[in-house]
Amino acid sequence: MLNEGDVKMKEEIRIALAQISCKLGDKNVNIDKMQKVASKAKRHGVDLVIFPELSLTGYVVRDQIYELAEIIPGPSTTVVADIAKKTKTHIIFGMVELSEKTQATIYNSAVLVGPEGFIGKYRKIYLPTHSVFEEKRYFRQGYQTEAFDTPLGKIGLIICYDIFFPEVSRLTRLKGAQLIVCISASPATRRTFFEALTVARAMENTAFLAYVNLVGIEDGLQFWGGSRLVGPNGKILVQAKYDEEDLVMCDVNYIDIRPVETFVPTLKDLRPELFDEMKIYAEKL
Amino acid sequence: MELTSSVLNLDWVEVETKVKRFIKDYFEKSNAKGIVVSLSGGIDSCTVAALSALAIGGDKVLGLMLPEKETHRPQDVKHAKLIAKKFNFKAVKIDITSTLEAFYNSIPIFDNTEKLCKGNIKARTRMIYAYYYANRLDMIVCGSSDKSETMIGYFTKWGDVAADISPIMDLYKTQVRKLAQRIGIQKEIITKPSSPGLWTGQSAERELGIKYEKLDLVLYGLEHFMKTEEIAKQLHVKKEVVDGIRRRWLFTEHKRRMLLTTKLQYRTVGTDFRLPRNPC
Repeated sequence: MLNEGDVKMKEEIRIALAQISCKLGDKNVNIDKMQKVASKAKRHGVDLVIFPELSLTGYVVRDQIYELAEIIPGPSTTVVADIAKKTKTHIIFGMVELSEKTQATIYNSAVLVGPEGFIGKYRKIYLPTHSVFEEKRYFRQGYQTEAFDTPLGKIGLIICYDIFFPEVSRLTRLKGAQLIVCISASPATRRTFFEALTVARAMENTAFLAYVNLVGIEDGLQFWGGSRLVGPNGKILVQAKYDEEDLVMCDVNYIDIRPVETFVPTLKDLRPELFDEMKIYAEKL
Repeated sequence: MELTSSVLNLDWVEVETKVKRFIKDYFEKSNAKGIVVSLSGGIDSCTVAALSALAIGGDKVLGLMLPEKETHRPQDVKHAKLIAKKFNFKAVKIDITSTLEAFYNSIPIFDNTEKLCKGNIKARTRMIYAYYYANRLDMIVCGSSDKSETMIGYFTKWGDVAADISPIMDLYKTQVRKLAQRIGIQKEIITKPSSPGLWTGQSAERELGIKYEKLDLVLYGLEHFMKTEEIAKQLHVKKEVVDGIRRRWLFTEHKRRMLLTTKLQYRTVGTDFRLPRNPC
């Protein structure tokens, strides 16, 4: 019997990976696209629709980022929550978050909304600032991993480059995430890394992992798409096309975690003392 | 890292797709009516013109053949026409000799023996023609600089390199040859010795003193942060040669950057004004 405040969780859910391209800097156009995609997904019985990193604005917005930043929850979050309400879906998307306490301190955030409104947000911890990336120039890093109780199970959120650091996904799993959602804006030259790491993060955590990447070309960067849903055993359950917009859907049954978790019991065998050692050596690197 | 020709291998189907997608995407976002390519008849410009035609349709591509009497090679015009015919785009030939002579005659300090200064006038004049056509016909200019020549600064500042997009600028010369082969550029164009066409008998490899096969591997090594000693050792070339290429790469950075000024105010053009190329 459920008590007040408890969230009744579904065991089996249908997820849509909404691999879209964005109109750079134009939130209205991008929200309109989210609305159309969410409606289409709902017609296919989808419970959760996931959009890419910074899908509200596009990725390469550079100095325009300050005009585009909003607090969360805020105006755009409310609009997307309305879409979630109308379509009776949960939606995850990415946006530039403005800190409530300052005027120009911003985060690269993932937002989770549902039919009942805003559920939670995650601020990207690892900000790539190398090669073509300049995220630390603009964003403040997040300090906390997040996993949220929802009627669709416990959902952990990570963003793009976070996936290179196993501890981020691992922490969401240790907080109970059954589904790890990684929203991304990855250019084509990085595909091999992500294709390996998405499988690895799912397997080592014995959890489902949904990876949703951007497509389109922004300032010469070609985002490669290839969004995918990976099972806890590393099997790719569904994969979107490379390089073009796509919407793929897949059913996830959390019961499938159990046999994998017993077959390769990485959580049972976890050795916390190694993390203490890792901290010592990481500081000395 | 082992520096052999295999490191320059790419998935050529994917490269072709990406380059065409890039051209098409920029063309569509710019709302232009077409693409102008300055078509010398060399491998780079032929490849770019062909890719443009494949990306957006030959009916929207214009090749400008801009020969002048000192460097005119009939085979170049022939090759330009061959490509235009094969990829179904229009090519216009304009002899720019009289324009160049007007320039030479009007410059009080003009010195005919300074062949580099004179050659740069030719490259910049071609740029003016390309941009006039682009402005007049509401088109964009597609450049054809490759990575080898761009890295070592083997181009004319504000001349041949000036363009709205440069789709093959991230491909070394030997890689452009592979891509050219893939899309069906004629063999005689691919194997023809490269020349910027600034003075009579100019040959890129002779002037650079190194074959592109070797130069590209040196540049690849530098791109991947390898030390010059290691590059020289692996490629069996003198360290001084590799150091020379490295110097040339570093000291020509001014040709690859735009609008340098000194910082005086809050945000500065070319420095910390960072805007997307196609803002909304």
